[in-house]
Amino acid sequence: MGLKPQDYRTQLWIDWCPGCGNFGILSSLTLALSELSIDPKKLVLVSGIGCSGKIFQYVNVPGVHNLHGRSIPFATGIKLSNPELTVIVHGGDGDLLGIGAGHFVALGRRNVDVTVILHDNRVYGLTKGQASPTLPYGVKTKALTHPNIHYAVNPIALALASGYTFVARSYALEAKHLKEVIKRAVQHKGSAFVDVLQPCPTFNDVHTPEYYKRITYYLDERDWDPLVRNPDEREAEEKLLKAFKLALEEERLALGVFYQNPHVPTFEERLAERFKTYPRASPATSPIGRESRTLLTPETFQKVFRDYIVETLQGY
Amino acid sequence: MDEASCLLGGFQGSGVETSMMVLVKALAHAGYSVLAQREYYSNITGRHSYILMRICSSREARSLSYPVHLIAALDSETVFTHAFELTEGGLLVLDRDLFPRKLREVASMEEQLRERLERRLASLGVGDDIESLVEHLASHAGVKVVAFSYRSILSSVGEKRRIPPTQVNRYLSSIIFSAVASLISLKPLYVEQALRSHFKGREELVANNMAVFEEVSARVREAKASLELEQPKLKWERLLVASGNDAVAMGKVAGGLRFQSYYPITPAADESLFLERLSYDESTESLLGPLLVLQVEDEIAAVASAIGAALAGVRSSTTTSGPGFDLMVEGLSYAGMNEVPIVVTYYQRGGPSTGQPTRGSQSDLFNAIFAGHGEFSRVVISSGDHLEAFYDAAEAFNIAEKYQVPVIHLLDKFLANSVTTMPFPDLDKIKVERGNVVAGGEGYKRFSLEALVPPRAFLGDAIFWHTGDEHDEYGRITEDPENREKMYRRRIEKMQLIRDELPRERKLTVQGGSDSNLLLIGWGSVKGVALDALEALEKEGVRGAYVNLKLLWPFPGEEVKKLLSSAEDVIAIEHSYGALVGKLISMELGVKVEKSVVKYTGRPITFDELQPALKKILSGVEKRVVLKHGA
Repeated sequence: MGLKPQDYRTQLWIDWCPGCGNFGILSSLTLALSELSIDPKKLVLVSGIGCSGKIFQYVNVPGVHNLHGRSIPFATGIKLSNPELTVIVHGGDGDLLGIGAGHFVALGRRNVDVTVILHDNRVYGLTKGQASPTLPYGVKTKALTHPNIHYAVNPIALALASGYTFVARSYALEAKHLKEVIKRAVQHKGSAFVDVLQPCPTFNDVHTPEYYKRITYYLDERDWDPLVRNPDEREAEEKLLKAFKLALEEERLALGVFYQNPHVPTFEERLAERFKTYPRASPATSPIGRESRTLLTPETFQKVFRDYIVETLQGY
Repeated sequence: MDEASCLLGGFQGSGVETSMMVLVKALAHAGYSVLAQREYYSNITGRHSYILMRICSSREARSLSYPVHLIAALDSETVFTHAFELTEGGLLVLDRDLFPRKLREVASMEEQLRERLERRLASLGVGDDIESLVEHLASHAGVKVVAFSYRSILSSVGEKRRIPPTQVNRYLSSIIFSAVASLISLKPLYVEQALRSHFKGREELVANNMAVFEEVSARVREAKASLELEQPKLKWERLLVASGNDAVAMGKVAGGLRFQSYYPITPAADESLFLERLSYDESTESLLGPLLVLQVEDEIAAVASAIGAALAGVRSSTTTSGPGFDLMVEGLSYAGMNEVPIVVTYYQRGGPSTGQPTRGSQSDLFNAIFAGHGEFSRVVISSGDHLEAFYDAAEAFNIAEKYQVPVIHLLDKFLANSVTTMPFPDLDKIKVERGNVVAGGEGYKRFSLEALVPPRAFLGDAIFWHTGDEHDEYGRITEDPENREKMYRRRIEKMQLIRDELPRERKLTVQGGSDSNLLLIGWGSVKGVALDALEALEKEGVRGAYVNLKLLWPFPGEEVKKLLSSAEDVIAIEHSYGALVGKLISMELGVKVEKSVVKYTGRPITFDELQPALKKILSGVEKRVVLKHGA
């Protein structure tokens, strides 16, 4: 189709703070979409509440900015109703792992073909800097009155445990790496999760670009192979265990794909096993009426609801 | 007798519900009209459960009534709990082996009831065992006792049919439907057909059950007992036997439902179970296409995924009860803000909080109408009976899509869990009208200010945005005050359009003498009992009409006002404490509805208690009557 990255952008002025990691995520996303040549109309960007959620209106594709924490069920309803659509979720750490953590786990269990991009800056930016679920214990960022009393959730380990079949980490300021990871995530068939580390120049004065530069390193796929190549469970188990171990490393943070298993059937594939016509016919594409009338005729009504129909046998 | 009330009881898990289904179907084969309501605890097995049913031979069964003409008991708790509900000369079928059982030995019985029964038995000078109670009923109330050993029936059937001793107990509940069917002298063919339908052709089960039926029939003949119910005079060839949950599910299918999300909750989950079973049926799929029924992680996800499906152009719905609806409220407000047509089927149960999870109530009227932050258009409808529920479930999608609003179909446990013989719906009445749907195209404005209902494109067809924030015509965030004023006004003024355009029969129905001074007003499951009470009053020379309010919001003020203006006595009837429908009328019309009959025990209003309550009000003795009857 030959759309350029800027064709995936709207003309709106962007109201993120200067230096915000969201800019990097936005530009890597549009780069990835352009390289994947995705028809903008056939893509849906679902985003939650917070600074990250505003990304929906900066991308020139259909956007569904919804409730705090609920992007995943919105995306699930959209994708299962119309499996032709590519569905990408953007949400912050508070959105996806705080208020929406239950849905985050549920998506992994289902393996719906949806990509989830976590804007992970470890603070609640839009409400002025409170601790988010990914802020480590004992850290005192600028706006906290006291060091954080909560322990952090480990997004990668949670995604692996929940059943996501593609799990990766990248960094908002590494445009090329992030673009590649997003491309692979979108192309992956199944629930894909990308934890994007991201500085918040306004409220997170601890996890700065300098901090991330110091602590992160790239996985070298010459000696780190995250892809499960055989459908047998042994390889999957072995690679999942390795990914878990890597996820628990906190001294240094690896960037790259932790785990990818293309052999787990997606939710759509499992539906297709039960429905003969799905996804060729989907809820969104199958007719529901005939000339403003119900599809049911008295004959088909009797066929469909046969178990509830009783004939009177008077005279017998 | 041209109608009878029966009660079947046993412990939960003993097959009381199966008994009900088989019996209702057998009665339907015979041509009777039946309404059967299930009362049960929030419990899987062990607690007391019973079916109260009304069987009519010459008119539609539309309300329940005490006292009952027949009790068929599986256990001693049923006998103790309901014995005093028997009419003079009524029939009591019970297990002879229960005779020595004492009240204090019924471990599953709740303390409060036990104490009440102990006091009652003591005051009557009756011993606290089944035998004494049965003797008392026989001698003082002319009760005809049909007692035989259930164990002996089962062991005889087990031997004849070679059922392993470990499995023969499964047929315990067959004894009670067999007893009722025998006492009414239903032809064995009807029972057999009902069994065949219920067990879907598993002939072994049909034959085993028929063997029980034959044994029980013999005992009933020996006892020379019968329920003198007239032969059915209703002229119908075929009908539906359905619960309220079933009727709604069927209506949704007729209306084009293609996505249903839910989180398990009583009394809503059975509807989704019906749809799920149906959706994977090959012939259904080939006729209708895929119908997705998705059990999700909570009610928040239920409403969110239903909204997502609706954005993709699908007729979507979610089903819940009060606690689940509360979780859906933020999503409801989003659907209002983004003009998303979703249908929320809301089966009320007893609140507040977990309340009485398996008992009925109509106390969530205001929750359905007012829940949600901010001001937005919504439609709340209700249904007076099973057939209405069928039509309304289908029509809800048309209202939702034509006006691009969330629609709440407000029902209750009484309707959800009552099974009835329902007439065949007229499918010509089912329209599929999708409203202002467009393909999108260049410069498409989803939230155009040009008309009250903007053009709706589906995801995949056009580029446009949605946000819970205030937005411009394209769906992008803006906080501009002028845009805010226009968008806000347009969204809310849709309510007037709905009020103007919906036909009167969708707003309310009036039955009875419209020229009369007495007006009963209610909504939902109150309809049947109100109509029966009116009919009885008419026989005593009191004419009245019942207003079955179907459109609860936006409130059909004009129509109600006209009706109220010509009435002298206006009585609100509702399963609540506050007679909320009266308060709604006051709020909308400035007219006080001071008279009411209410019930909030969690049990349905029955005919026998409503009629005297109305008389008490009409004679000026009381303005408000609180009903309390029923175990």
